[in-house]
Amino acid sequence: MRLALAACLALAWATTAAAEELAAGISRDTIEITSNFTGTDVVTFGAIESEPGEAVIPGRARDVVVVIRSVEAMDATVRKKERFGPIWVNRETRRFAGAPAFYFVASTRPLKDIARSDALEQFEIGLDHLPIGPAPGAVGGPKDFRDAIVRAKKRVGLYSEHPGGVSFLSQTLFRTTAALPANVPAGNLKVIVYLFANGQVVSSNSMTLFVDKTGIERRLSNFAFNLPWLYGIAAVALSALAGFLSSLAFRERE
Amino acid sequence: MQIYLPIAEMPVNVFVIIALGASVGFLSGMFGVGGGFILTPFLMFLGISPAVAVATQSTQIVASSVSGVITHWRQGNVDFKMGGVLLVGGVLGSIVGIQVFNALKAAGQADLFIALSYVIFLGSIGLLMLSESLMAVRQGGSSVGGFKREPGGHYWIHRWPLKMRFQRSKLYISAIPPALLGFLIGLLSVIMGVGGGFILVPAMIYFLRMPTSIVVGTSMFQIIFVAAFSTLLHAITNQSVDAILALLLILGGVIGVQFGLRFATRVRGEFMRLGLAILVLGICLRLGLDLVVPPPDPFTVSAEASK
Repeated sequence: MRLALAACLALAWATTAAAEELAAGISRDTIEITSNFTGTDVVTFGAIESEPGEAVIPGRARDVVVVIRSVEAMDATVRKKERFGPIWVNRETRRFAGAPAFYFVASTRPLKDIARSDALEQFEIGLDHLPIGPAPGAVGGPKDFRDAIVRAKKRVGLYSEHPGGVSFLSQTLFRTTAALPANVPAGNLKVIVYLFANGQVVSSNSMTLFVDKTGIERRLSNFAFNLPWLYGIAAVALSALAGFLSSLAFRERE
Repeated sequence: MQIYLPIAEMPVNVFVIIALGASVGFLSGMFGVGGGFILTPFLMFLGISPAVAVATQSTQIVASSVSGVITHWRQGNVDFKMGGVLLVGGVLGSIVGIQVFNALKAAGQADLFIALSYVIFLGSIGLLMLSESLMAVRQGGSSVGGFKREPGGHYWIHRWPLKMRFQRSKLYISAIPPALLGFLIGLLSVIMGVGGGFILVPAMIYFLRMPTSIVVGTSMFQIIFVAAFSTLLHAITNQSVDAILALLLILGGVIGVQFGLRFATRVRGEFMRLGLAILVLGICLRLGLDLVVPPPDPFTVSAEASK
């Protein structure tokens, strides 16, 4: 009975909390990778809307978090170098799964001030809360192996955290600009906007951002993946041809 | 000027890549090595993934080696028979090498074994070459190993069976030592992941006693096949050959190799060997330093798409 009452109360609280909703959009839904692609900016913007007839509840700790991430996860092998006599060699190797190829997160405040760890973990928000775990059949390693993956991804700009990157333009309007690096993986990205109130997600909005190679880039990579045999033979044949032509060109100069 | 690479999925500077291709091509034309041992780390330094770097540099090596072999062949400086024997040994060696590599990996410590053998191997070859070529430079002669080649001279290789006449190299020796050498190079190249030209060239000079002028063209002839096979293998199994990157590297490479060849004809044999000795010792030193200098980040991460 007490349990049911508690559930009812929780539900009531949740519905009042959900009275605030998100409306969000992105400045573009397709990124075309052409031969002069060097990265691009994507603006995510939106507004917090309240139910008709209800005012936006003032004075609440309200935060917006914007995540841009690839949907597919990667496998990663982490090797640790250790001293062996006078030399450094790879000793331990651990295999991990579940690391997204690309992950960007911007928020109004540092994530740890917005919500508790378990809430962030539930929605995979923040580099510390990505579901990177041992690969199937692999033993779990110490945390520093997992951290090495995040560090390596950060180094090449594929993972980034931007506390304070989301700014409120008014009480209800917010925006953030994500500079997608040139090495952003092709494929679909998810843009997910979360509205937090009092440490809980009260509303979220998910959009798809297509990252696609176009023109010659697309044709070449399709060729490489669809007809690998022919692609390999063509690569060797063209290399040999280029070598042949250069030897001819240089003979004529003599 | 930046251009986006479709397979590496990142942009690079066109001129940097062409210049890189040209410099490696120059070394290749000069010494008869492939140059992958310089190209691969440099491409990785630019941010290109190891898989794409290894696969794509091999296409450039095909192009510059073909260019070099044709030019050498016109001058009568390629021993195709010797190249063929080396190649047969090489194919067998790489098949055995894959087994050895897997066995080492299963036993753990493969990295330690490979790194150490690499450094010891390169270090001893480099030092031997350095002392020999310095001696030759001081004496002003172009003798090999400190003594003059004698047409009828015998040493232990001549007593082996299966003798073959290698006209271009002016040798009448058993086919076993070159086949064995090819085998060893094939084995090492699979285990160490390099073409092996910088081991093959000194071995042909000092071990088989081939004339330095024939060695470069013959080594390049053998390298064409190793690099072509490697390109095919990577294209089929990993789809990691980047056509745009290859094109830029080849553009620089085929020009660089011709200048390297031209430069080599103006340099006396012992100076060429001295240059190669310095190159080999340089690689050895770099690898050696990698081993003893504490790494800035002890962790290395390699990521691949989930299967």
